[in-house]
Amino acid sequence: MMRRVAPFLACIGLLLVWQLGSLALNSDSFPTALQAIEAIPAILGDKDSLVNFGASLRRMTIGFSVAVAVSIPLGLLMGRSRAVASFFNPLLMVVYPVPKAALMPIIMLWLGVGDLSKTLVIFLGVSLPVIYHSFEGAKAVEEKMLWSGAAMGLSAAQRLVRIVLPAALPEILSGCRTGLVLALITMITSEMIARQSGAGNILFNALDMGQYDTVFAMIIIVGAMGIGLDALFERLRARLVRWSDPQFDVPLSFS
Amino acid sequence: MSVADGAFVSILGPSGCGKSTLLYIVGGFVQPTKGTAKMKGDVIREPGPDRGPVFQEFALFPWKTVLGNVMYGPRQQGAKRAEAEAQSKALLEMVGLKGFENFYPKELSGGMKQRVALARTLAYHPEVLLMDEPFGALDAHTRTRLQNDLLSIWERDRKTVLFVTHSVEEAVFLSDKVVMMTRSPGRIRQVIDIDLPRPRRRAELLLDPRYQKYVVEIERMFDDSGENEL
Amino acid sequence: MNARAITSDLLLGLIPIALLVAVWQALVSFGYAPVTLLPPPGHVIRRMLELLQSTTYQQEIAATLFRLFAGFAIAVILGVSVGLAAAVSPTINAVVRPIVRVLAPLPKVALYPALLLLVGFGHESKILLVTFDALFPILLSTYYGASTVEQKLIWSAMAAGTPPREILFKVVLPAASPSILTGCRIGLVISCIVVFLAEMITSTDGLGHVLVTAARTFQAVDMFVPLITISLLGLILNGLLELLRSYLLRGFPEV
Repeated sequence: MMRRVAPFLACIGLLLVWQLGSLALNSDSFPTALQAIEAIPAILGDKDSLVNFGASLRRMTIGFSVAVAVSIPLGLLMGRSRAVASFFNPLLMVVYPVPKAALMPIIMLWLGVGDLSKTLVIFLGVSLPVIYHSFEGAKAVEEKMLWSGAAMGLSAAQRLVRIVLPAALPEILSGCRTGLVLALITMITSEMIARQSGAGNILFNALDMGQYDTVFAMIIIVGAMGIGLDALFERLRARLVRWSDPQFDVPLSFS
Repeated sequence: MSVADGAFVSILGPSGCGKSTLLYIVGGFVQPTKGTAKMKGDVIREPGPDRGPVFQEFALFPWKTVLGNVMYGPRQQGAKRAEAEAQSKALLEMVGLKGFENFYPKELSGGMKQRVALARTLAYHPEVLLMDEPFGALDAHTRTRLQNDLLSIWERDRKTVLFVTHSVEEAVFLSDKVVMMTRSPGRIRQVIDIDLPRPRRRAELLLDPRYQKYVVEIERMFDDSGENEL
Repeated sequence: MNARAITSDLLLGLIPIALLVAVWQALVSFGYAPVTLLPPPGHVIRRMLELLQSTTYQQEIAATLFRLFAGFAIAVILGVSVGLAAAVSPTINAVVRPIVRVLAPLPKVALYPALLLLVGFGHESKILLVTFDALFPILLSTYYGASTVEQKLIWSAMAAGTPPREILFKVVLPAASPSILTGCRIGLVISCIVVFLAEMITSTDGLGHVLVTAARTFQAVDMFVPLITISLLGLILNGLLELLRSYLLRGFPEV
């Protein structure tokens, strides 16, 4: 029981530390936790903000779904075929350290400031971890399982879908979880860079206008979104792969 | 159960009977829930260099070379580097690994790793050797070689050895006494004295009717108990 | 893997990169993309070589590298210490675990405005952001590595006379080093990404800032250069870390 309560206690603890810290610092630009929390309803109630949030979530969902749909097959293929892996690996390794949100200005030049550029960036950001995890998961599938399948008459494509995919699913879902966190982060960052709509936009507008309560309130909201999405996904994942060994996750948080 | 100084005692039993646990209690790695373990009259509370373990999984430090592994104990005891090195090299030669000092454990075969493990434990001069199915992970051929080597090393200073195994032949071949355990929850069933002359040579012993009799009788005792405890 | 396999893999892997560059060049040469939006690769490379020799650009690189290293170093020190502590002490574990669970999925970039308000717009805010982002993978990998150390290794050391307080440094830390170094590699990539993004959002110097300035003045060539620079930096740093890793882990079997 303690285990389930502990994260809540941790949240409260952190908020407490914040509260005490801000009271101690007593600076205009550092509102207390309570002040920030009080500002939340105003944001959630404001129609404009809701439109912004809706846009953010929409972009995130589309970017994430398309990325997953493309990356899983690619990763699986790479995992089972050395040729495919060697073909794509170096390219991916070069792209890996590039902050996808940093591509925003360039993509904006080409595709304008709207949804497409941000969604594209989210797509790129989510693809990489999903590809890599699908790749690792597919690679680790026991050869003997596939041989059993072949002996049963399954073709190569069937083996990929009916054996490799389920066997690699725990690892793939790990990648998706990372991808989800990345989607959220890339979304916020791209909105901070290309201020036009979305949660990141609200954040920095408030910063510019000196509405520090709002800034911190937004941080809490975004933080809650991140934690909430992650928790939901984890639940989904646990149900989908009930049969697997407990996985260890290194929650990656790329920006 | 008590073990005399200098005796080679095997603990024999089916899987899960707790024979390894018994060894770990003597080693001080695990605390007993009931009863006490004593060494020379003192209660055993924690591990120490007087009781040196040799594990089935070798448990060698992968970040150290063969020599580094063997030198670990003496260095921990405060020996100077040069002294520890010389001593360790001599030990490695004794276990038949001369020339492998700068290899890493990953580069060695199972049998060689176990030799290193043995050398590492012997390096800090324990009074008692605690061996937990040390040859269990090795193939039959390597196992018999190491059994012979273990005996010839043991003959030199006749340390007290507690040797856990589930192989009846191994127990009879190596030891002065065989402690038989029942299956889980393990209890000590019987202690059998092995009255066979030393030094023991495998080729002779395999043909010796006394050896064969011991093996057959002990195996029968295990079979009987299995039927009764259904 | 023998040398022939590696070289053929390498060649195969260069194909997509070469292809990409070729497509890039083609798009420009055949007039599909205006030179102002998509400069030919030749221009970009030339400009990059030009800038690399100018002291102002070198200073930008230095600023970025400084923040990157500072943030990464702090993250390593903190992450490894806390990870080790949590692995060996149940009390510390009970306290750290829920906090990490709450903070890890939080998009730390959302904290950036808060950092700006608290410590100003200079180096510190970026260094702190890098630290927060790189901390968790390192902490978690350390924790994982330290808590899965083979029990028999510890027992062997104890029997050899190692006192309990020395076990942490003589056995747990070395045994956990493969895991720790993996976490460090992830942390390093994250550091590269985060520092660049933070500089893009608000900064007066650094590679990210160069990109944003170029974007504002519609200098497409100057936008590509910092991106490629950070990508190369990431690759080089990763390579160096790999070398360090091979050296430190030379005794460990391949994972």
